[in-house]
Amino acid sequence: MTEDPSNPLEPLERSLNSGSTSPGSAEPETGDAALINGVLQRDQAAMAAIFDRYGRMVYSVALRVLKEPAAAEDVMQQIFFEVWETPRNFVAGRGSLAGWLAVVARNRAVDVLRRRKPSDPVEEVELAADTNLAADAERNIMMEKVRTHLDTLPRDQQDQVQLAFFEGLSHSEISAQTGVPLGTVKTRIRSALISLREAVQA
Amino acid sequence: MIENTHIPQQDLSLYAMQALSLDEQAAVKAHLGACETCRAELALIMGDLALVAMSAEQHPLPEGARERFLERIGADRAGVDPIGSALAVSQKVVSIADGLAQKPRTRRAAAWIPWTAVAALLLVAFGLGIKLHLANIELEQQAARLASEAGVNQRAREVLDVLTAPAAQHILLTAGSPRPAPSARAVYVASRGALVLEASNLAQIDSGKTYELWVIPANGKAPIPAGIFRPDAAGSASVVLPQIPAGVEAKAFGITIEPAAGSSAPTLPIVLAGAPTSAGE
Repeated sequence: MTEDPSNPLEPLERSLNSGSTSPGSAEPETGDAALINGVLQRDQAAMAAIFDRYGRMVYSVALRVLKEPAAAEDVMQQIFFEVWETPRNFVAGRGSLAGWLAVVARNRAVDVLRRRKPSDPVEEVELAADTNLAADAERNIMMEKVRTHLDTLPRDQQDQVQLAFFEGLSHSEISAQTGVPLGTVKTRIRSALISLREAVQA
Repeated sequence: MIENTHIPQQDLSLYAMQALSLDEQAAVKAHLGACETCRAELALIMGDLALVAMSAEQHPLPEGARERFLERIGADRAGVDPIGSALAVSQKVVSIADGLAQKPRTRRAAAWIPWTAVAALLLVAFGLGIKLHLANIELEQQAARLASEAGVNQRAREVLDVLTAPAAQHILLTAGSPRPAPSARAVYVASRGALVLEASNLAQIDSGKTYELWVIPANGKAPIPAGIFRPDAAGSASVVLPQIPAGVEAKAFGITIEPAAGSSAPTLPIVLAGAPTSAGE
């Protein structure tokens, strides 16, 4: 398995939260954990703050998959409503709230795209590190870094990651569609993710 | 994916993206239940996928989305409260009744007990009634939504029925030329793999032959067969939602004449061809 168990988000957290190295990345007034605690206390203002912080990101991920604003908003509304209904499903140690919401948004949107039942309960989605991406500046820097790296991948590899991640195609469907052997599809997707992890660690 | 060994990273990546077949998905899931190492690796991969997700271009929220969400959680809270409120009120009533009962004491106090219990039950019933009423309202709203969607579906079915009905007459209005040339019009949504083709004035072909529609991928891959068809007596034909993969950007579309069962690769000449004029979605 992996030799280096560190999460790609960790170095970013160190670099962005170290104050003098990143003057533009102001810490948000209230951390995600405090907001989730507020939601546990049925505090609507805390839930509204989470929505304000991540609503645009979740909507954008869903829109990237579904390409229909109304359908993307439905997915976004449902995800945040689940956070409101069952905030205990998001607990400390499950990863950053931003990353968790991004993955759940993608999975739910693909479920809608493929017209299938929600495949994974939200509580099964777990990220490796609890990383603070609550500030807009941190997320924007991270997004730009990821986009830049993905653009450097060979075109075929980019296409296959896009087909698997944003179009929700299975590896065999990608193989059939692109004419690339199954094993090559698997390898390219995996190596793309590894290179992305290394790029954000750099 | 063998029970006693770890799941290869590439399979875990595909599992995380739900890109494995159902059988493979189940096998990985079973292994994860018993393997902490693979669960940890999966969590790392989920972190990678979060990065990919966050690379999506950011768009502003639709107008009113925030208000709709706040209204929803507000209504949710209101929907939960009636029972809780009723119980809280009933407890207050009981304590007031207890206070009143303290003066007469002894048997009069005991006489209040059944009445306070009745009052509490009535209030609980009242609370449940409110809950039921709210549930009925939501049910009615859902029924209205379903009726509306059913209407839209019915309309879509009718359109398809008209387009594909054997008895349908296909009339091409022209500026008076004696014999219009064969033509076809295709509507294609690449992201969904949805394609509808309507052809007119096609020449009749031998019984052992068929027309076949092809999607020519923009990435230079082999043409994808998108349905075989024969024209009616008037030379009209249609292909509606053939089984083709989603996500293929098309450079062009072509129609060829093939053996009756169709072909896996087009046979020249291409009798009709056209390219998309816009990127679509």
